[in-house]
Amino acid sequence: MELWRRLGFLLRRRRFDRDLEEEMRFHLEMKSRKNREAGVEAEEAEYAARRSFGNALLLREKSRDAWGWRAVETLAQDVRFTLRMMRKNPAFTAVAILVLALGIGANTAIFSMVQALLLNPYPFPEPDQLMSVQATHRTSWTTATGYREFLDWQQQNTVFEDMAIVPWTATYTLTGNGEPQRLIGGETTASFFEVLGVQPLFGRFFTEQETGLGSQRLVLLSYAAWQNRFGGRADILGRKVVLNETPYTVIGVMPSRFAFPGRTTCEFWTPLRDDPVNSRGNHQYSVIARLKAGIPIARAQADMSAIARRNEQLYPWANKGWGVVVSPLARTLAKQAAAPLAVLFATVVLVLLLACVNLAGLMLARASGRVKEMTIRVALGASRLRIVRQMLTESVLLSIVGACAGLVFANWLMEVLRKATPAGLGLDAALRLDSRVLEFTFAASVLTGVVFGLAPALYGSRSGLSPALTTRAESATGTPSRGRLLGALVAGEVALAVVLLVGAGLLVKDLMTVLHLDTGVRAEHVLTFALDLPHSMYSTPQRTSSFYEELLSRLRASPGIQSAAAVGTLPMTGGYSGSRFEIEGHPEPADLEGARAQDNISTPGYFRTIGIRLLLGRDFDERDTATSHPVMIVNEEFARRFFPSEDPIGKRIQTRDWRTIVGVVGSVKHQQPWRLPQPMMYVPHAQDPGGFMWVTVRTAGDPEKLALAVRGTVRSLDLNLPVLSMRTMREVVSDSVNGPRLLASFLAGFAGFALVLAATGIYGVVAYSVSQRTHEMGVRIALGASYRDVLALVAKKAAVLAATGVLIGVPAALGVSRLIGSLLHGTRPLDITVFVSVPAVLLAVALAASYVPARRAARIDPMEALRCE
Amino acid sequence: MEQNTSRTEIPPGTLYMLILKTLTRGQMHGYGIAEHIQQVSDDVLQLEEGSLYPALQRMLIKGWVTAEWGQSENNRRARYYQLTAAGRRQLTTEISEFEKVMRAITRVIQPA
Repeated sequence: MELWRRLGFLLRRRRFDRDLEEEMRFHLEMKSRKNREAGVEAEEAEYAARRSFGNALLLREKSRDAWGWRAVETLAQDVRFTLRMMRKNPAFTAVAILVLALGIGANTAIFSMVQALLLNPYPFPEPDQLMSVQATHRTSWTTATGYREFLDWQQQNTVFEDMAIVPWTATYTLTGNGEPQRLIGGETTASFFEVLGVQPLFGRFFTEQETGLGSQRLVLLSYAAWQNRFGGRADILGRKVVLNETPYTVIGVMPSRFAFPGRTTCEFWTPLRDDPVNSRGNHQYSVIARLKAGIPIARAQADMSAIARRNEQLYPWANKGWGVVVSPLARTLAKQAAAPLAVLFATVVLVLLLACVNLAGLMLARASGRVKEMTIRVALGASRLRIVRQMLTESVLLSIVGACAGLVFANWLMEVLRKATPAGLGLDAALRLDSRVLEFTFAASVLTGVVFGLAPALYGSRSGLSPALTTRAESATGTPSRGRLLGALVAGEVALAVVLLVGAGLLVKDLMTVLHLDTGVRAEHVLTFALDLPHSMYSTPQRTSSFYEELLSRLRASPGIQSAAAVGTLPMTGGYSGSRFEIEGHPEPADLEGARAQDNISTPGYFRTIGIRLLLGRDFDERDTATSHPVMIVNEEFARRFFPSEDPIGKRIQTRDWRTIVGVVGSVKHQQPWRLPQPMMYVPHAQDPGGFMWVTVRTAGDPEKLALAVRGTVRSLDLNLPVLSMRTMREVVSDSVNGPRLLASFLAGFAGFALVLAATGIYGVVAYSVSQRTHEMGVRIALGASYRDVLALVAKKAAVLAATGVLIGVPAALGVSRLIGSLLHGTRPLDITVFVSVPAVLLAVALAASYVPARRAARIDPMEALRCE
Repeated sequence: MEQNTSRTEIPPGTLYMLILKTLTRGQMHGYGIAEHIQQVSDDVLQLEEGSLYPALQRMLIKGWVTAEWGQSENNRRARYYQLTAAGRRQLTTEISEFEKVMRAITRVIQPA
């Protein structure tokens, strides 16, 4: 009821005002009539009545206050006024909104990333109970575990509801459903869905009995696969789908929102097919588990460690030295991204701060043009609070409009992030403008508005009556406090820009260094692509190896191609923990790590094609056939580690069978360029024909020009064989540093933005000071100061501002470089080039920014300047 | 606002009661309410316009009174306030509350 009456008031407040006014007039009239009747003079009577009535305007305001809409009305009034001001100053408004949009937009995009990765990474019930269980070893970098060890953990632990293997993904070919399609599927344990606490949309999960070596050919489809591959048909349950030429029965469909971070591209899940007995030491799976309610992590850790210790004693040959670490799943995921994310977030916060400082400067400069307006307001009885409030309304409103524009920018930025981040982080689905991100944006924009509006508002409201009365007297020197405040703001901008530029400089320099690190290959003029021969067509080793032989010989014969060869794992495309082996005549190593190397397959001519040096012995050639003596080539790292004082040539190594080492080649990096090369064993393709191979082609000229011809050659052999991820080797190397590059380009972009803001800030302050000192300059010139003297005078001001900023910024940057340190691989955090060139660049930019106003000052006509007074 | 020191302040918390009581005599405009209180109290209680009109607004919000424009005794338009049922209930509560307090105060200040 009361609320309705209040609302009614809001709608009819014009009438309310009229009513109240009339009511009071009536009251006054009655009062003065009474006074007259009491014998007072008419004029005196009315005056007395008025005097006893008091301030009618104030009274009316108090009566209005009773209805409780004062705050809203004031706000509406201020907003209307602000919109009018914005229309009147389109240039200022546009600049402010642009700066704010970039600042707030960047924060929004990065916050959505923080939220996706750190705050809410797991959309599953009771995500805090979800643990990551990782194997650890002193010298091994893998955290994966073998299937047998997983089963030990699962069966022996007493602390988890259940444990599961994170889907082991592979690419499958789907046939019998229109055109053959390639899709990614994952093998997992039955417990996976239970641990996560999810239910199928319909159908069922597979069971523990259906998992293992002889697992049933069952498949659970993702919602997307059901919709896109099978048209969402209702009778999908029980249907047979053909994956890699094997029929699988569909037993269920998952809900559309189900996605496990890192496995978001999975379109179906099948029961894990692995050997529960002979898989010990075969580190390949990631494990998750759900803690039983009330069990602390420390207890789970103790329980798991006990199991690991038991395994070390029972199976020293495989499990010696292997421990286990239990940690919250969310933190495990966050750990990978934490450092770059912290740097990104710090960057965008600094950028927003810089935008605030810049806008505060702009508002302050504008406030000086509004002194008269403020003076009139104060004279009319506006309180200081009222003026501050009105000016804050202006800045917050600007900020909110800027934030709205910023959402567009954020959306674009998120699109870039989505494309550029590795699929493993599972960001593609999580990066979006949801309600929490929007709340953040709103809060950030209000805060921003207050931050950049407060100083100008306090300053503007302080002006009071005096400035308007004394304008002349002050213009000779400018308002000293305003000049100081502006100067401090600009020095702050320079300091922030120094920090951002140093950060960007370090990352960019590091990226350059890393890209020029020796990877062990000569990447120029090499074209690469992958082929995956389907089993149905290439069912025997002979067919596979003769296909590649034929393909390579046709390629070698093509014009423009110097050599062609194939390899199982291409450098810079990733590595794995490696296989175990034994060296003839050497004592058996104490543990698996004592004899573990990555294995690879290559065809003759591979080393020459990709530019790996042959150090000892020979390359594979046509003598190495399926029936000839089994041979292998090892890399330098292998020889260094396992034959420190012997000649490895002629030594025999057992992996699956005994092989004789015939050559030693240079080591190549298989992961990022800053990771050290691992020991590697190559076997000839003819003796171990893999269907999936990378083909490498060394060309005489630009490798990209041969792409079409190479595709044609593949098609001439097999019309239906897709050519996968064709890139130049340069691109392969460059793609291996995608993450660092993304970070470096982000920082470089923001640092550039910061530089522009700082430059405009310096320009603004110097121009302002020149305009304030016209008279002084006129006098100086009249007294004989030369063009150069005046230029130097003005430039000095800019130089002092920039130098102050640099003096604050460099120590701050030193602190920040430590934060960045963990992300640098080839550069020291205190890189002297960066720390010298950044201040130099800023000083140069400051001088350049001051040139235009300085020239204006130097060209002042003394007569005119003095006449102005 | 100027303060006329010769006036006696209306004790806090009693303003609504005085206005409500005055309105039991029938509808009245603001000036009439102020005059009535002054006269009946032999000029002891002087109602300030500065408190009267805001108070009337608050009473409108609470729904204790309604207001209507009408013709004044000297043929001028004036806003007349009228007690509502809620206003009457409020008056009863306020009076009994006030009497309770008065009795208590009297007991305290009476010579022992």
